[in-house]
Parts: sequence; C-alpha cells; structure tokens
Amino acid sequence: MDEEIILEADTLTRSYEGAAAVDELSLRLRDGEFFSLLGPSGCGKTTTLRLLAGLERPDTGSIRLNGADVTNTAASDRATNLVFQDLVLFPHLTVAQNIAYGPARQGLSTADQRSRVDKLLEVVNLAGYNERDPADLSGGQRQRVALARALANEPSVVLLDEPLSSLDRGLREELQRELKRIQRDVGTTFLYVTHDQASAMRMSDRMAVMNRGRIVEAGPPEMLYSTPSTPFVAEFLGDGPVLELPAERQCGTPVVTLADMTIPVADDEETAHPRGDPAARTVMIRPEHVTLGEGTLSGTVVSTAYRGYFSEVTVRLPDGTELMTRGPAATWAHGDEIGVRVDRAHPVEPDVAADAD
Amino acid sequence: MNSDQGQPTEPARTAATSRNRLVDLLLGAAPLALAIALGVVPLGVLLLESVELGAYPDFGVVLAGYRAVGSSVYLPVLIRSLAVGIAVTVGCLLIAYPVTYWVANHCPPPLRVAALVTLTLPLWLNYVVLNYSWVWILARGGLLNTVLLETGVVAEPLELLFTELSLAIGFVYIYLPYVILTMYVSMERLDRRLIEAAHDLGAGRIRVFRDVILPETLAGAIAGTLIVYARIAGAFATPEILGGAGNQLIAQLISDAYLQILDYQLAAALSYVFLSVVLLGLAVGVTQRDVREELKQW
Repeated sequence: MDEEIILEADTLTRSYEGAAAVDELSLRLRDGEFFSLLGPSGCGKTTTLRLLAGLERPDTGSIRLNGADVTNTAASDRATNLVFQDLVLFPHLTVAQNIAYGPARQGLSTADQRSRVDKLLEVVNLAGYNERDPADLSGGQRQRVALARALANEPSVVLLDEPLSSLDRGLREELQRELKRIQRDVGTTFLYVTHDQASAMRMSDRMAVMNRGRIVEAGPPEMLYSTPSTPFVAEFLGDGPVLELPAERQCGTPVVTLADMTIPVADDEETAHPRGDPAARTVMIRPEHVTLGEGTLSGTVVSTAYRGYFSEVTVRLPDGTELMTRGPAATWAHGDEIGVRVDRAHPVEPDVAADAD
Repeated sequence: MNSDQGQPTEPARTAATSRNRLVDLLLGAAPLALAIALGVVPLGVLLLESVELGAYPDFGVVLAGYRAVGSSVYLPVLIRSLAVGIAVTVGCLLIAYPVTYWVANHCPPPLRVAALVTLTLPLWLNYVVLNYSWVWILARGGLLNTVLLETGVVAEPLELLFTELSLAIGFVYIYLPYVILTMYVSMERLDRRLIEAAHDLGAGRIRVFRDVILPETLAGAIAGTLIVYARIAGAFATPEILGGAGNQLIAQLISDAYLQILDYQLAAALSYVFLSVVLLGLAVGVTQRDVREELKQW
C-alpha cells in the first residue's frame, strides 16, 4: 500500500433490483491528483461517486478515506464534498451563504466563515460576488460557486459529477482549464466523473475507464490513449479501428499484415504477447499512424468530415477494411484513389480487464 | 377614430378590431354577470341587512348589529373560533409534513397514487357522515371505548365525545386531506438533491429540515393554511356534532342569531366581522408571490 493513497475503494458492489450498477469496483486515488472516472452513460460512474460521497451504501466492499474505514459513515461526516451535475445551489441563499453553508455546519465562527468565503471567491475568480443571488449568475459563474461550496469544508477529496456537461463548448473548455488550475492551486484531490473523453484527457493526471460497473483500465491519459490494453478503451478514447490481423515476426520484429501491407506492431515490455507469437493478433490503428498520399497500398476515400483546421478522412482498403485518418482540410474528396501508409499498429488484448492500481 | 389616411386598410382593420372587442365584451359579460349575481349581490344584501339604514341619522341604531358584536359574548367566541382554526391548521401541518415527505420521497412510486387517495379519502365522502363516524367511534358505548374496556386498558368508559379532543379529532380528520394535497405539491417539487447537498456539506437531519425542506415548502404550507383555517374557524357541522355545549364556534352563533333569536341584523353583522377577519388573513397571505403561485393551483 502506498502512503500517499488518500481514498481507497475495495471491491464495491451496488445493485438495483438485481442488476449491478457498480460491480466489484476497486479504485485508489493518490493525494493531490486529478483523477477522472470515464465511461459511457449508464456505466455506473455516478453511482460510484455517490457511494464514495456516502449518499448511497454499497452492498459489499469497503471505502477507506485517509486510512480510516468510512464505508458506513454518513455523507455529512465524510471528508468528501460533491459538485452535483446540476450544481444544486441553495436557491434561497446568497452566494456567500451557499459557500459558508459547510463551514457553518462545522461550527466555524462567523468571522472565519467570512474570510473563508472571501478566499474561495478569489480562488474561483468571483471576488465581490458575496451577496449575489445564485439565480442571477451565468452558468459558468454558478459552476464556480458550486466548486467553491464544495471546497469550503476543505475536504480530502472533491467529487465532481459531470458539472460542466451542460455548458457550450467554449465555456466548457475555459472552465476545464480553470478547474485544473484551481485543483493545482488548492492541491485537493479531485475525482471527476464524465462521459467525455476529451475533457477527461485534458484535465486528468490519471483516469480510469469504466464499463458495466467495472473499471476496464486505469492509468495516465497518454498511456491509456496510446497503449490501451483493451479494445473497449482503445475505441472509447480515440478513433481508428480495432482489427484482428494475421501476425508473424520479421527480422525479430512483430508485424501484422493488412491487405498485403506489413505493419510493425508497437510491442513493448508490458504489452508484448505473453504466449509467444500467435498467428493472429488484435491491434488498434490510430488515425495519427495512417498517412494518405504515400505508400504502396491504394485505397478509396469513402467519407470526409470537415473539422475546421483538419478533415477526418475514412479510406477503404481493397480488402474492405476502413481506416480513419486526419489531414489538411479539403485535400481529398469522396471517391479519390490514393496511396495509404500505416506506420504502426498497437496490440490490444480482448480479454484483459485490468482494475485500477 | 384616429386612423392613418395613408393606409387604406387601417379603418377596416380598426372596425374589425372593435367588432372583436365587442364580441369579447359580450363573451366576458355573461360569466361576469353570473359572478356578480352569485357572489357580490348576496354579500351586498347581507351588508345591507347588517345595518339598520332606516334609523339614519342615529348611528347608534344603524350600527346596532356591529355594536352588539363588539360588546357582548360574541367577540370571545369569534376569537376562540379563529384560535381553533389556527390550532387545528397547525395540527394538520404537523401531520402533513412527515406524511407528504414520506409519500413524495420514500413511498414506492407505483403505490404513490394509492397512498394519496387513501390519505385524502375523506374528501370523497359526505361531510356530515364523516362527523357522525367519529361519534360512532368516540361515544361512551362506541368502538374505541368498547375495545379499551374489552382489553382491560380502562375500567370505566372514557368521556371522549363532545370534548375539545373530539372536536380537534374531527377537524383534523376532515381538513387534513386539503393540507396534504397542498403540501404534497410542494413536497414533490422539492429537489431531493438539495437535501443531499446539505447533507453532503455536513447538515444533520434537523438542519436539513430547517435549511432546505422548510424554506422550500413554506409557500405550500401557507397556502394550505389559508385554504383550511377559515373553513375550520367558520365550520358549523363539526362543532355542532362533535363539540360540547360549552364550546360553540362562531358559525353556530350566527346560525342561532338567524334561526333562534331571529335577529337578522346581528347575524349579518357577525358574518361580516368574521368575513373581514378571514379576508384580512388571506390578503396578508397573498402578498407573498410564492403563496399566490401555490394558491393558483386550487
């Protein structure tokens, strides 16, 4: 066990009417990290958050916070605070009263509450908004108030339930940067639940991808994106197909063959296949490893999607496989015959379902 | 008519508009006339009856009815009636709060309608029958005393009927459904996550009630109060059937003044004083915007 582990969930299970929303989920958060729990809707991530907050009780499993067992501790007595998806600010209280609500329950003096409110409003860039009515604030400002309210009790872990999902893109990205900055400034551990892989990757130190109540894989975003172990994570985090291709070893290098093209497999110590060299391997081909206009293989452009400064191009190989890549906008059009080069493929193991470390 | 000469269609449009306005006026006039006939006219007649206009300019006689109300046994009864109205309303609220909270938050959704119908069952039954059902339960030889005697809890039958207690039970039983329905609307609208948020920030049960549930449902509680308290204070059948001889309420006095003493002026004056007090309460209540919103649902 690591000393810096601040929150540890061990084989949590929570079922509703016989169906497990959270299924033997284990998770460890390190002190001060920004951790995202990422998964499709209905994967159990919000239930996990509610279990950790104490708003639900697990059927089995345990939760340790700062080394102490809090599995049966009420939400009001847990050193975790939630930022709800819809924020849920108290409508009949001012901004300052909302933020001071937690400290007041902890018995802080009025003067201490006031200074904490002022400090937090400064942290979230809303200094001077003390007496405002939350209803008169913009969506982004309400987000900041909700965050300040959750930080006001100086919790060990702040749990965020997709609070930014309702905002439009520009504001969402601005607030993501803000959230990351605030998290770094205050040094509190953040557990951020989301279905949006872009925001999870942008903000997280580490993240875990969930599916059907379980954690499929956990690790730093760049590791999960570029070297996922499972097809689910490969497909959830990025584009590009997961294919099962004939495999062999050429000059000591593992390769797979796709439509007569030999593609090196990016094996490393961890992902090298444990059972020697099989005849077929499951690999993922990310768009950034596909280059158009070069190479020996010829393909047909079947679709292009304009994305601003680049276009997404889907190209079909002679054997019917479709690969995705990105290129300068409006370079290729539907029906173009072009050369295709694949620089490398990444192996994934269909049966591996790793728990978070 | 002040129409623009440069636009030939304008006079025609104005004519059409005024024709529409006439139709609107006629359509609106019928229900308005009905409302006046049913509401304002009887109240006006009652007002005339409460003053002896023929005695003008001797105001001592003109206002004799009102003078009697102020300087007799009637005022204490009026105050007592309002006090009973408030006390029973508070009792109804004390019951309705936990009950509606349970139905809105903890009752399994498929059973919710059944629970509400059960709780509001007295609404569907005859008012007088409801009162007599309590006579049957509370009488010396009634259901409750029989059970208590048979089980040996008491040796002598309890005097339950025609007491303050039987009056309170009857009132709560009959008016609780109204308060429950009003409160339930507020309770159901109450955002459960507000409770969770308060809880998450360290609030215990009592704080959650004080800080979230009470302020969020107060408008519903006040609306419920306004709906029932005047009806309780002005109730006739319940005190007549379940109340004792010594604790008459204002409606019984008004009835006596009309039917026994045949003093119509006094009866009308009593009615008007009571009506004014009730309207005053309502007026204070509806100055609150939230309360108005709740009342609109009725």
